[in-house]
Amino acid sequence: MTYPAQLVELIEEFQDADDQMERLEMVFEMADEVVLIPIDDWSDQTRVVGCQSEAHVRVSLDDGKVLMAGAADAQLVQGLMGILTIAINGSAPAQALLLSPEFAQEMGILKSLSPSRSNGFRNMFDKVMLAIRGLVE
Amino acid sequence: MPLRDDFPILRRLVHGHPLVYLDNAATTQKPQVVIDAMNDYYTQSNANVHRAVHTLAGEATDGYEACRTRLKSWFNAERAILTSGTTEAINLVAHAWGRANLVKGDAIVLTEMEHHSDIVPWQMLAEERGVEVRYVPVLEDFTLDMDVYAASLEGAKLVCVVHTSNVLGVRNPLEDIIRLGHEAGAKVLIDAAQGVPHERIDFDAFGADFMAFSAHKMCGPTGIGALLVRPEVFEEMEPFMGGGDMIETVTIEGSTYQTNEHKFEAGTPRIAEAIGWNAAFGWMEPLDLKHEHKRMLEIARYTAAELRTLGMTVYGRHDDEDSAVVSFLHPTLHSEDLAHLLDARGYAVRTGHHCAQPLLHRLGISSTVRASFYLYNTMEEAEQFIAQVKSILERFA
Repeated sequence: MTYPAQLVELIEEFQDADDQMERLEMVFEMADEVVLIPIDDWSDQTRVVGCQSEAHVRVSLDDGKVLMAGAADAQLVQGLMGILTIAINGSAPAQALLLSPEFAQEMGILKSLSPSRSNGFRNMFDKVMLAIRGLVE
Repeated sequence: MPLRDDFPILRRLVHGHPLVYLDNAATTQKPQVVIDAMNDYYTQSNANVHRAVHTLAGEATDGYEACRTRLKSWFNAERAILTSGTTEAINLVAHAWGRANLVKGDAIVLTEMEHHSDIVPWQMLAEERGVEVRYVPVLEDFTLDMDVYAASLEGAKLVCVVHTSNVLGVRNPLEDIIRLGHEAGAKVLIDAAQGVPHERIDFDAFGADFMAFSAHKMCGPTGIGALLVRPEVFEEMEPFMGGGDMIETVTIEGSTYQTNEHKFEAGTPRIAEAIGWNAAFGWMEPLDLKHEHKRMLEIARYTAAELRTLGMTVYGRHDDEDSAVVSFLHPTLHSEDLAHLLDARGYAVRTGHHCAQPLLHRLGISSTVRASFYLYNTMEEAEQFIAQVKSILERFA
């Protein structure tokens, strides 16, 4: 998988982390990268179903480029949203749709990408990609 | 602790740290004798059970049936049906007894403390048959409202109650529940998935009509469990799954069925798993379970008390008969975050709704972190766990 340059840089930073705890701390810091959806705008439409935490995403196009917004009550899930934000925001939809979720494994953050109720990242990633597809089809 | 040496998985590292396994209410680890028994079966005796006359088939049949014999002696039960686990055992009651004995207008009494496995099969049956489902509420002290229970028995044909809550660790007053249920003319099913790992139950003396549980929560393999049934209630059950092994004769015109437990074990059963489970019973046999239970409870009490001093809300109770489960929440650090951070240091805990959403709804929360202790856990592990939680809170909360 070829990733966008900004994501490649991030993957390398994560791989260089001393240990898993430091890696998770870095994910926590990524939570600030998210374009936040105010809590009043959280709805069933924005909710990431099957997530242990309360997580919301919304995708729109801004001048033809992807604009993802999100929020989660778990810092780790919001941090993963932040990483996804860096990866796709400002990209053309067709380019964003090329992204596969394996980068979270390559970063060493997640062991499993299997869809499950404990895998907030995978559920969130799938919802974002589905939303982008909906915008361009 | 010599007992720990029997569990090879406890020697592994997770993210470079020694594994501290505190997710025992979900599943327990397996001693080497269980792994060896299953491995020996596949390397020496693998064959299908019950009908072939060759040596391997005889060994496989003896191994499979030895598990049933062990279940009957361990629990003092006359009928032991082998299932895939607690969930299938409860679903078997819903299909084999419920559909043969419940009609529109009958009532089933459940509690808000049930695992989804003891709710959903009854909701499905209720929808299909027009049966009413009543729920006994959980009080603020995490116990069942026994006044509501007594009142809800009017016209009830079946009571289904969890032995010990997988979230709260609370062991319910089952003796009273069974007695009152029977006085009202209802059959009583106990979901003992969390009970049998901690308590040696005499099923005949216990008095329940059905008891469901799984091997994997008591050091046995996944994929196998049992349904114990009182003999007179067993006769009220109709076959559920049709297929090989459960029949007596099959003709074009129709079939007749076995009259023993095989009637409910259609298809090739879980032979290796049964052999592994029997080995787990053998491993547990010499243990003083009462002493071990007391020791585990001391660990749970210490953990709960220390977590409270760290600002956690602890959901549950640790009286003498309760299980060693500690469910807790931090006011700001999300349960999922805490679990990931603990995992980074080798601590395996569970988060989420623990398949008990009605209970969590009653508690006004959507998830907890759950640390659950079992035979191989030590007080030292609990102390390290508390130190790690403290360190995480200092860094992240």
